[in-house]
Amino acid sequence: KGRRNQKGKNRGCVLTEIHLNVTDLDLGYETKEELIFRYCSGSCDAAETTYDKILKNLTRKKKLVPDKVRQACCRPTAFDDDLSFLDDNLVYHILKKHSAKRCGCV
Amino acid sequence: EPVLSKGNNCLDAAKACNLNDTCKRFRSAYITPCTSSTSNEICNKRKCHKALRLFFDKVPPKHSYGMLFCSCRDIACTERRRQTIVPVCSYEDREKPNCLNLQESCKKNYICRSRLADFFTNCQPESRSVSSCLKENYADCLLAYSGLIGTVMTPNYIDSNSLSVAPWCDCSNSGNDIDECMKFLNFFQDNICLKNAIQAFGNGTDVNVW
Repeated sequence: KGRRNQKGKNRGCVLTEIHLNVTDLDLGYETKEELIFRYCSGSCDAAETTYDKILKNLTRKKKLVPDKVRQACCRPTAFDDDLSFLDDNLVYHILKKHSAKRCGCV
Repeated sequence: EPVLSKGNNCLDAAKACNLNDTCKRFRSAYITPCTSSTSNEICNKRKCHKALRLFFDKVPPKHSYGMLFCSCRDIACTERRRQTIVPVCSYEDREKPNCLNLQESCKKNYICRSRLADFFTNCQPESRSVSSCLKENYADCLLAYSGLIGTVMTPNYIDSNSLSVAPWCDCSNSGNDIDECMKFLNFFQDNICLKNAIQAFGNGTDVNVW
């Protein structure tokens, strides 16, 4: 799916990474350890499926209330490996499903 | 004031590990079993040991040794270094067996037997050599030492002030074998070859070996 995004219509939806301190995540941990946080961003405006096209058309013709139907969003389709770290009080913690591995318009 | 307040080499090594996909993956892969308590135990020691062996097998020494053999100037650093192998699960036990009995259990296991033999071969001290090692090869000594992590002979640092290491055993109740037991234990605790090897890695002074 990731490959299709690069070649296809939704090339706007991509995996991006940023180097952070674990404390930047504001999850309540006290530690000096760091991580690479990967996230999905970009536009999914171009309708990817006939389903999306129909939704757009119906919304335009006011046959559907716009708020009730959602268009595709750029979201993780797979998550990165777990991250572990030792906090300032010598306790280990593990973060699961915290960072994206692949993105898609879903 | 928390124990780990300032930066240090062991913290830098942990940071570097989590920025490397392989190191990050295998680190979490042992932290998970080594910190998960089961119904009546603090952890599943067998799974913790297996994941620790995998970590030292698969992760490049730059990262794995970086965390295990980092050089320290303060207690925040040495405490972090001591926690590398999650000693509460992988190292400590309710009772401390006699070292010769522990050696017997080690010899019953193929991996432990061969790795202990490697350790005695490659970390053999020799006072007359420049390196203090008979084999004159720090890398082989560190490889043999780290190879014991994840066996019943798993060693760790015993205090915060020195590079003294020992497996989880002592020489009480040795009877007539007290000398043999002390000789075994001192090969860990008071081994100039191993200490120099750890120091050389930590200081980055043994560059030609890496």
